[in-house]
Amino acid sequence: MKVDEIMTKKLEILGADASIYDAIERMIDKRIRSLLVKPGDAKDVYGVITVRDIVYKVMARNLDLNKTKVSEIVSKPLICIDKGIDVEHAVSLMAKFNITRLFISEGKEIIGIVSLLDVMSAELIKKAREGRSA
Amino acid sequence: MLNKVFGGGTEQRVIDNIKKHMRILLSASECFKKGVENWDKEQMYCVADLEREGDGIRREIISTIYEGAFLPFLRTNICRYVEIVDEAFDALKDAALEFKHLGPKLDDDITEDFIRISDINNQMCDMLIIAFETLFNKGDLREKTLAIRIYEKKIDDIKFDLIGKLRGKDVKDFWEGRILSDFMSYLTHISDVIEDASDYLHIINLSMR
Repeated sequence: MKVDEIMTKKLEILGADASIYDAIERMIDKRIRSLLVKPGDAKDVYGVITVRDIVYKVMARNLDLNKTKVSEIVSKPLICIDKGIDVEHAVSLMAKFNITRLFISEGKEIIGIVSLLDVMSAELIKKAREGRSA
Repeated sequence: MLNKVFGGGTEQRVIDNIKKHMRILLSASECFKKGVENWDKEQMYCVADLEREGDGIRREIISTIYEGAFLPFLRTNICRYVEIVDEAFDALKDAALEFKHLGPKLDDDITEDFIRISDINNQMCDMLIIAFETLFNKGDLREKTLAIRIYEKKIDDIKFDLIGKLRGKDVKDFWEGRILSDFMSYLTHISDVIEDASDYLHIINLSMR
């Protein structure tokens, strides 16, 4: 099974200058746990901000949600894999880097995201389909 | 399990017809999916045809059960299960009907979501057949119903996004908006009904213990 078969195509992108409060609003509105962050300038690259980053790096330190910028806590660079990579390989990468999501690319374009939940769901469905009677 | 305990001729006829009923639902769902993928309104006529065929089989199942197939305490649950599968047929037929009244083409991202939902509905129909078969082959019903719940959750997520997209879409009159809204409601209702049907399989399974 390839990662593009199980990836989520729903990608939400935020500017690096946006506040953490903006990011939280977007995550709640869209019911997602991570956001892509646009490069700050031409030399910069895309990054990612997650719920975990917000809780650990901002809320736990009592920083102001409105004054803290996304650019201050964004993780870069993104860990991307090609859409044709096997799910097993993606899982081993997640384990190696201790991350819960991988971005999926086609050429230079980011086309989706695969999370641990996507992998788990796909595996459960695959297991349920195994051994069906003829 | 069901056929080992109640392996009589009439019971077997009911079981075979229930499988046939679900396979027709799967065919109707495949037909619907192709229609949405190709934005082909003519294709949708097959859904109504298959729904009529399914109706005939449902009537035969219910008649056979009332003729005396299965022990009385099982009859209600089996009949209810068949009725729920029939509700999925109705929702699919209603969605197909609304599809015929939709405009020539919608925005690509909205169309893509409709195709994804149709595809997941189709996979759910297939999984429901697999789940039903576990009543006879000692498979793990729990893992099949979990798979159905995962599919349903996926459709819920797409629906949530789709509502946002549709709210921002300009419509030329009341009917265009109404048809689009109804189409989405029927299309996303199919998965709810299939999930209900899979829950009922659990009840049937428990009632046979």
